[in-house]
Amino acid sequence: MNIMSEAGDIRDDTGAKVGMWLFLLSEILLFGGMFILYSAYRFKNPVDFHNASGELDVTLGTLNTLILLTSSLTMALSISAIQKGQRRPSTYLLVATIFFGLLFLLNKGIEWGAKIDHGIYPNSSTLLDRPRGEILFFGLYYVMTGLHGLHVLAGICLLAVMMAFILKGKIHPSRFTPLENSGLYWHLVDIIWIFLYPLFYPIT
Amino acid sequence: MKSDKHEVSLNYRSYVLVWLALIILTGITYGVATSEGMRLNGFAAPIALAIAGTKSGLVLNYFMHLRSERLQIFRIMIPLVMAVFFVFIALTFSDLAFRQGVK
Repeated sequence: MNIMSEAGDIRDDTGAKVGMWLFLLSEILLFGGMFILYSAYRFKNPVDFHNASGELDVTLGTLNTLILLTSSLTMALSISAIQKGQRRPSTYLLVATIFFGLLFLLNKGIEWGAKIDHGIYPNSSTLLDRPRGEILFFGLYYVMTGLHGLHVLAGICLLAVMMAFILKGKIHPSRFTPLENSGLYWHLVDIIWIFLYPLFYPIT
Repeated sequence: MKSDKHEVSLNYRSYVLVWLALIILTGITYGVATSEGMRLNGFAAPIALAIAGTKSGLVLNYFMHLRSERLQIFRIMIPLVMAVFFVFIALTFSDLAFRQGVK
């Protein structure tokens, strides 16, 4: 529909968005596979999973949930602002989103650090002495939160590029699809965390 | 003037309200987590997962604008992937449930 909407600028915003969604759906299946693995091992080792999850800090996990949810809000507002032609607020909101993303990673780093200090990390002798289910739980914990953390890091890089685009004037009220697609990615990373949170922290 | 077709009409206020709902739901999850009674009677897990489902629904519909999406392809693409995912879950658990003597 929007092909050649600007002289010399060939674009297909609808196609770009459908492509982004296809990628996001493949991400859902990637994490989905791990969620199934988690459920299967938990089904087999309910007591070990319960005991191991009791060692994670639910307050730190909740704090990280609040941080990521708030970053999703600033992301959505940033897109809304650029659509309304408010370039400066849009940039500030994007800076806030990146800041919350970094805060999330910092928090995650503190959490991992505490666990590693206690000798709990993949293949550590302390962990290998534990029951089989607990080894599986912490293995899944490191792989799933680690892969999620990498996604947050990728999202931060993406948003930094988008910010450069806004400052250079490449993203403006009549061309905001790249920012919108980056927002979709950021929100998906948020959704994955929404499910990681109740599964790993001592809620269940 | 607006040339991008998928114009989104949500205002700042609705986004903040959705965010508020997400924060309240997180608070409920935390409350359930820290209540011993809930953890013991086995209700905590289903409640926490139902809340997670509601939260992701809010993010998908409002932050990711699925609610205002008019493209037909989204009505096929997303349910299709979800269906595939549920087939995986169903097959894995039917296997686990009927296995005998295999650790």
